[in-house]
Amino acid sequence: MTPRKQERAAGLRSGRAISSTRMSWGLLGLSFLLVAFGLAVLYLRKPESFEFLALPWLAAVVIVAALLQSVVLRAHLSPWLLPLALFFSSVGVIEIARLKPSLLIPQLRWLLIGMAVFLIMLRLGRQIVGLTAYQYILGLACLILLALPLVFGTEIGGSRNWLVLGPVQVQPSEFSKILLVLFLSAYLADHQDVLTKTRRWLGFFRLPPLRFIAPLLCIWGMAILMFVVARDLGSALLFFGIAIFMTYMATGSRSYVVIALAVFGLAAVASYMMFGHVRVRFDIWWNPWADPNGMAYQVVQSLFAFGSGGVWGTGFAHGHPGLIPEVHTDFIFAAVAEELGLIGALTIVVAYGVFFIVGIRTALACTSVERILLAAGTSVVFLLQAFIIMAGVTKFLPLTGITLPFVSYGGSSMVSGFILLGLLAVLSRKEAAA
Amino acid sequence: MSMQKSSQEKERTTKRFVLHTASILLALLLVLGLYIAYLQTFGAEKLAHHPLNQRSAQAEAEVQRGSILDAKGRALAQSAAPGERTYPMGAALAPVTGYIGERIGSAGIEGRANQDLLGRTEEMNRLGPVAELLQADRGNDVHLTINADVQQAAYDAFAGRRGAAVVLDATTGAVLAMVSCPSYDPASVEANWDSLSQQADGPLLNRVLYGMYPPGSTIKPMMADAALTEGVTDETEIFDCDGQLDVGGGQTIRESHGEVHGKVNLEKAITESCNVTFGTLAMRLGGKKLGTAFERFGFTKELTGDLASESAHLPDFKNLGQGDMAQVGIGQSSLLVTPMEMALLASAFANHGTVMEPYIVQSVVTPGGLTVREGTQKKWFDATTPERAALIDSYMEKVVTQGTGTAARVSGIRVTGKTGTAENAQGKDHAWFIGSADVGGRKIAFAIIVENSGGGGIEAAPIARKIVLSME
Repeated sequence: MTPRKQERAAGLRSGRAISSTRMSWGLLGLSFLLVAFGLAVLYLRKPESFEFLALPWLAAVVIVAALLQSVVLRAHLSPWLLPLALFFSSVGVIEIARLKPSLLIPQLRWLLIGMAVFLIMLRLGRQIVGLTAYQYILGLACLILLALPLVFGTEIGGSRNWLVLGPVQVQPSEFSKILLVLFLSAYLADHQDVLTKTRRWLGFFRLPPLRFIAPLLCIWGMAILMFVVARDLGSALLFFGIAIFMTYMATGSRSYVVIALAVFGLAAVASYMMFGHVRVRFDIWWNPWADPNGMAYQVVQSLFAFGSGGVWGTGFAHGHPGLIPEVHTDFIFAAVAEELGLIGALTIVVAYGVFFIVGIRTALACTSVERILLAAGTSVVFLLQAFIIMAGVTKFLPLTGITLPFVSYGGSSMVSGFILLGLLAVLSRKEAAA
Repeated sequence: MSMQKSSQEKERTTKRFVLHTASILLALLLVLGLYIAYLQTFGAEKLAHHPLNQRSAQAEAEVQRGSILDAKGRALAQSAAPGERTYPMGAALAPVTGYIGERIGSAGIEGRANQDLLGRTEEMNRLGPVAELLQADRGNDVHLTINADVQQAAYDAFAGRRGAAVVLDATTGAVLAMVSCPSYDPASVEANWDSLSQQADGPLLNRVLYGMYPPGSTIKPMMADAALTEGVTDETEIFDCDGQLDVGGGQTIRESHGEVHGKVNLEKAITESCNVTFGTLAMRLGGKKLGTAFERFGFTKELTGDLASESAHLPDFKNLGQGDMAQVGIGQSSLLVTPMEMALLASAFANHGTVMEPYIVQSVVTPGGLTVREGTQKKWFDATTPERAALIDSYMEKVVTQGTGTAARVSGIRVTGKTGTAENAQGKDHAWFIGSADVGGRKIAFAIIVENSGGGGIEAAPIARKIVLSME
């Protein structure tokens, strides 16, 4: 390569680097603008009920977000992860300001805590990734965390998946999914050879000896238990999905996928026949119009929100998303669809897609199986969770209560989201630069 | 070296499987995106207008509805706050204002000008969310052509009897009064819905627009016009009335109260309402020409918009027997018309043969004073020539000065008219009176029917008189 060519190549590289930095700042600025416009509309619409006390909190969020962004850029981490997460958070903030103004300050507080956790993750990142050395402890911790609400759990909103710790209510499943991803990536990376090479034909399936897949079976069993006992269908589905997708990514074996789906199908049929609450969920999905004012009220109201929103939406703060119970948590996507229309709804869908692609690109740039699985697994968690709840509120799949990552109101969800985001950010560090 | 190689190999295969998984998940997301796109485009209409979807009702409930005002600016319906509605003139104006309720739907101006009263326009509905910029918290005021004094006078004149009265400005088409009895209190319709909707005398029915009655002798001015236009008679022909007309097949048409008019010309036949003459003329005209006459006077036309209404039920003119032809000539047979149609017929003779399209909304004005919709005078159709209209009009003047309609006479005011006493299946005859008057600087046309009450000259004509007096 001639020196001039080298120079030009370097120039192109740095040029690209500058523009992606600028663009990520631009995306961040866009999110701030979104919040500013949203709040302005709310103020103009109902000045008397405007939450002025939230403004200092908002200023704090903006400052901390900008600081974090410069930290991320200086450390040569992916410039897209944080701005995208903050874009989702901004949508969440204005929707909560519109739907439940009394929860705006708590949500901003959780956002600040989330960002603080994100910073800690950046500082401790490598140690956290190093935790994967203690895979069985991780696995055990995950199981214990899952089991906690089964034993000490409190039922909130029909699901026994809450722990009440003094003034704070925690959803342990939000945190156990992090442990699950850590455990699975460590375990699967470690046992990749055993899981792929010592397989024997077992009927139609090629499987390794039972003792190697026992931990996986344990996770599946736990997911099914959650499904049945804690009535936390959303988390159960998520755990199951994470386990299946990560196993496939590590082994490339379709046998695992088929068996897992078969087990899941059997469990679903069995629980449909044995448990009333599962049957109700399914029947609501199959035909919500059989009982539109009773059991299916929430889903039917959500569908009305999508219909009334149409392509352009009713306009922010001009619809009636309040007709949907719990609209600020699980159904926040329906509120977006009603007031911002198909345009707004598809923007969210596409943004999760882009976020997922950024995560997968991070995984593809990693240089060890464990890190690849960790980054890819984390990305799958976000996408799968978003998919499950968006599909649920649109009646694409049976509804299972779960939060929309970074958007829905909720502390556990926000903090765990930022932990996973931090993990992904740490993994996106250029290893040559690290 | 080989260790490194194998670990690189492992990474490569893992990355391949990661890509597989990513494509599957992105494909799932794409399918979900397409499904949402369907839900909010092709599937949206059904969901948005589902009867259980309370969103549009809620949006309407949040707007303070505009007022409905009469021609002199008096409030007929008004709201002090969203969800409240008062009707200061009550039952007398109910056929005009109508009602609105979440469970019962709407009627009258409340229903037909609903978008105006909510402050919306057709264009705004097409703008989507941008329309919210233009949406005020208070709807628009709807100014009507109605004169509440005339309406009240006509309503009072019915004194509890069933029937309908409509008053038009013949030169403009403006509706000045639209009375239907019995009526109801618009403010309490929702509370009394069950009894009101089941009451046998139909208080919720706007008889002016939806009441179907045989016109009886009030159709005779049109028959005279048709006979002259088609040349089957002239002003000078003398008819001999011996009290009954043989229409063939053993059927006869008789005069009411067994009267015998003797020798009459066309003018006298109108003023005395001679059945024999008009039965004869109708048979001379024949089915086809009778049909043409009804067409010419707008009985086949349909009113739409704010005054959308039922239109006449006409007999099958192609297959009409002699007896039925004669019956049509005196406004019987299977012929059914609305009071509005009869008022428009009267207006044709009062307005030089031209019928103006009736309108009731004078203007729609925003809270800021901007007029967004205006009622305009528009020629609807020409029913007859100005000369013939003037001739029939002079015959109808004679009806009031010296014929069957003297009860409508008001000294110092030129009033024209035609009485009708329509036989019907429900019981006693319906009393009709249609006509016009030059009063208060304008030319009004009206139609009045008092159901099952008796003779038009006795029961209906006095109401016309009260209407004319209230216009002064």
